[in-house]
Amino acid sequence: MEYSLYDFRDASLNIQIAIVFIVVAVTCTIIAYLSILTGRYKAYRREKKLARLHPVIDELLMEHILLNDELTSDIPADQVQLPIEVFQQPVFGKKWARQALINRLIHYRNNVRGSMGEQLRNLYIQLELDKDSLKKMKSRKWDLKVQALAELTSMNMSIADVTILPLTNSRNRELRAAARHAYIKLSKNEPFKFFDVVTEPLLMWDQVELFRIISTTEHIAIPNFAQWITYSTNKSIVSFCLKLVVHYNQISAVPAVIKLLDTKDHYLRADAINCLGKMKIEEVEEKLIHIFNSQPQNCRVEILKALGRINSGKYVDFLRQEFLHSTDFEIRKHAAKSLIRNQWAAKGMIDELIETATAENKLILKHSMNPLIKF
Amino acid sequence: MSNKILLVEDDEIMPKIMERILHKEEYKIEHVTNGKEAFQRLEDTDYGYDLVITDIMMPYANGFEILSKIKNRKDGKPIPVIIVSNAGNEEMILEGFKLGADDFLKKPVIPGELLIRVKRLLMQYSR
Repeated sequence: MEYSLYDFRDASLNIQIAIVFIVVAVTCTIIAYLSILTGRYKAYRREKKLARLHPVIDELLMEHILLNDELTSDIPADQVQLPIEVFQQPVFGKKWARQALINRLIHYRNNVRGSMGEQLRNLYIQLELDKDSLKKMKSRKWDLKVQALAELTSMNMSIADVTILPLTNSRNRELRAAARHAYIKLSKNEPFKFFDVVTEPLLMWDQVELFRIISTTEHIAIPNFAQWITYSTNKSIVSFCLKLVVHYNQISAVPAVIKLLDTKDHYLRADAINCLGKMKIEEVEEKLIHIFNSQPQNCRVEILKALGRINSGKYVDFLRQEFLHSTDFEIRKHAAKSLIRNQWAAKGMIDELIETATAENKLILKHSMNPLIKF
Repeated sequence: MSNKILLVEDDEIMPKIMERILHKEEYKIEHVTNGKEAFQRLEDTDYGYDLVITDIMMPYANGFEILSKIKNRKDGKPIPVIIVSNAGNEEMILEGFKLGADDFLKKPVIPGELLIRVKRLLMQYSR
């Protein structure tokens, strides 16, 4: 060792740096391998323990809860006293075993509903497993909070607004998504109340995720989205509400959407036009034509699309004019597409255009006529 | 003679529940965990099942492929098929019925309801 240190001191600076670098790299590699090994060993032991415990849990659940004929009586499911003493085994005093039981109950509830599903929820409450979940809600670790939210949502347990609402605005993406998911699923009367407190923008992915949750949740109370379209200061919430208005075909929100045509934000204005077009609000066509020339390109494109979607046939001359004389290719393309959509009112006009148009215009028209091409 | 039911399901819990419930009614249940095994079992037994209950999304071959294979046979006794799946959107349900499914249940299921549907189909096909 002394000899090595002596060599090290005598070596040139480059060699010394290289030796230090090698020692650090080798040490880090060893630490990394050891931590991977430890992790895998722990996982292996956990799997082994769970493999022994799962059949026990399954047997208990099947025999004493799911297939227990004594429980299928006239008493409402939530008032039945379950034989919880069979679950009071020493193993279930351990944290990991209680967690395994919670996970198993959730797995079962994802497969069965009705009275059996309710009995599983009852068992979760009577074994006070909900307390374990609520304890995790108070943890400082975000992953435990996400886990707790998933458990409480699966078991249809209510969570106080004061606990969950701040989480819907969390800076952690996963936690924010889980909290919003839980809020929509658990809040019976106002599942969209968290829109009031969202200050961060709803990212596109958040919107897709929320849309999935909303459209797959049964018996959801649908509010009038006009309240957020009119008053929310969060533009992404307004934009998302416009999409929900279309999804639920919420005619009562249309006046608020029309008012949004006067907003200074042209992205929101484009979304509002898109919404009105998809809802086929014919009364708004005249206003759209009126504002057309003062709009930026994205709004103009949306106006042309809206005229195509509304399909009233009243503004085919306007569409022809834009198709022939606009200097912007996008505008010409969308004018052509909308003209084709209004074909029932412009058959002669389209035939004439095809005959007299330039090669490029003919190409645009043919492209627009192809039903497989959507834009 | 007890009816023979083939259960094609890759989830761990669902077969346990179904087996217990259907076994109580003295049905004979055979369980396989993927499409490939299901095809193998059907071939080996010369389609000797009175009813097939299948999930949709599974490894190797999905429930629709199993359903098509059963329903497109030219000879042999007709076998009723019930689809039990998480994927219960409109297109999936319509696709299932288009391919000849006799019933479609979305998970989570009410076990008693499943039992009644099984009984009804077995009775219908035994006539």
